[in-house]
Amino acid sequence: MKLKIFPYAVLVAGCVFAIFPYFLTLLTAFKGPGQLSETMPWEPGLPPSTAAFDRLFASGFGGYLLNTALVTAGITLGQVVFAVLAAYAFARLSFPGRDALFWVYLSTLMVPPVVTMIPLYLMMQKLGLVDTWAGLMLPTMLGTPYAIFLLRQFFRSIPADLEDAARIDGAGRVRTLISIVLPLSKPILVTVTTLAVVANWNSFLWPLIITSSEDKRLLSVGIALFKGEVGVDYNAVMAGSLIALVPLLVLFVVFQRFIVRSVAVTGLK
Amino acid sequence: MLRPAPRGRRQRGRGRQTAAAYALLAPSLVGVLGFLLAPVVIVLVLSLFDWKLLATPEFVGLANYQKLFADSDVWHSLLVTLYYVAICVPGTTILSLLLALLVDRKLRGMKYFRALLVIPWMATPVALGLVWSWIFDPGRGALNQFLGVFGIDGPAWLSSPVLAMPSVAAVHIWQFAGYNMLFFLAGLQNIPASLREASSLDGASPVAHFFTITLPLLRPTMLFVLITNVIGSFQAFDTIFVMTEGGPGDSTEVTTYLIYEEAFKKFDFGYASTISVLLFAVVLVATITQFVYFERRTTYEVSG
Repeated sequence: MKLKIFPYAVLVAGCVFAIFPYFLTLLTAFKGPGQLSETMPWEPGLPPSTAAFDRLFASGFGGYLLNTALVTAGITLGQVVFAVLAAYAFARLSFPGRDALFWVYLSTLMVPPVVTMIPLYLMMQKLGLVDTWAGLMLPTMLGTPYAIFLLRQFFRSIPADLEDAARIDGAGRVRTLISIVLPLSKPILVTVTTLAVVANWNSFLWPLIITSSEDKRLLSVGIALFKGEVGVDYNAVMAGSLIALVPLLVLFVVFQRFIVRSVAVTGLK
Repeated sequence: MLRPAPRGRRQRGRGRQTAAAYALLAPSLVGVLGFLLAPVVIVLVLSLFDWKLLATPEFVGLANYQKLFADSDVWHSLLVTLYYVAICVPGTTILSLLLALLVDRKLRGMKYFRALLVIPWMATPVALGLVWSWIFDPGRGALNQFLGVFGIDGPAWLSSPVLAMPSVAAVHIWQFAGYNMLFFLAGLQNIPASLREASSLDGASPVAHFFTITLPLLRPTMLFVLITNVIGSFQAFDTIFVMTEGGPGDSTEVTTYLIYEEAFKKFDFGYASTISVLLFAVVLVATITQFVYFERRTTYEVSG
């Protein structure tokens, strides 16, 4: 019995440490105007208030939220679809230049985004896409090497016999991919999608640089600017942070078991 | 008469396969070659130009590199970056391995504990940075209020040139330990249970088992976690942007932040590109070094 209490105690302590900033965020976001925004810890017994959320949304946060949701959905959809196609080609087809190309893809994982920032900005300027939705989304939505790598590893673990059988039955490449490979790849698809959603939802540097007009502002930029514009209205900032987290939290809770399992099967042995 | 036909068909089949492959690859080729690889080439070219906002770019050869080597701000930023990496990588790796050992047990409710530990990874770094700046606030922040309970007068974490960097790095470790735990957990679960039984029959202590069996078998996972963390911490930007803006003084002025300032505040694209080339070279060397080191160790294992 003693042996069991110890790991639980450590686990609970670890989890408390992992979530206490969110706990503080939650408490601060719902503080009333009567309570000084800076005082900590909060004063128990006072009723929660949504005033911070009202101020937040009055300053256009609802628009940022909608923008972020749409942009995240768009980029993620592109990333996953195009990564599936590329990964399938790398995993199952033989063609000249395959291995060299795959190494090129992998090597781009090493490029720090800040290094590509200036050329990308200038390219978007040339294309007339600065401060447009296309400029915001295009550079990241077409090719994501890490997703291609993870998917390729998974596709290769699927027995080729299954696909051969389908092909003998007369199914084409695309048909085989859709009706045989993809259903078997659910865990890795969920994982790649989740990773993409988290990255796109949280992305900051590129949106900060490429967009300037408020109607295209994303949540992360909104929160960062909120700090400066309102002279740190911490309650509102915390309300915004809370809203930023909730969708990702829901996503993760729903898909947690897939993610843990697919990490285990994706070539990390 | 019959022999050429199959060969022809095979050749046609191969040609069709190549065409199909490149059709499938087309969008990602545009993305990877156009938006990841081409920018690297462009940044190399730009680093040879003097180009300020609105001015015409002027080819200056290696002048930017001469400036770079004499620029103490750049070397300082590189040292600051290395310091950040030196705290974050071991911190995150060790903590995530310990967490993985902790959650690699069959206990009731374990999946909830695992999920809770991964949550910090999902936080929007900008929002997270603001929450933590507030926790670190010297007067009314949670950390110093907590220390106050024990009669400790906490320091001004983020406005101290000495403490600012470790504080920002602590946030990085806090954010990524749980995420990296997942990879170690996967690695641990791939180790056959029979090995544990065998070593406990031999009377090996859990600690000896860990160092002689578990750790060597985790080497591929270790390589993955180290490399992704090194690359990731070299790129740190978001939390520093909101927590310290490179300060106090230039104590948290990492190279990414310096590049951002040169390019998008001073609009000196040429010189910012030169610093980018330096950063890229450093990341490249760091990554390749790890690969070579681990490859050699692994090969040694196999042959010896």
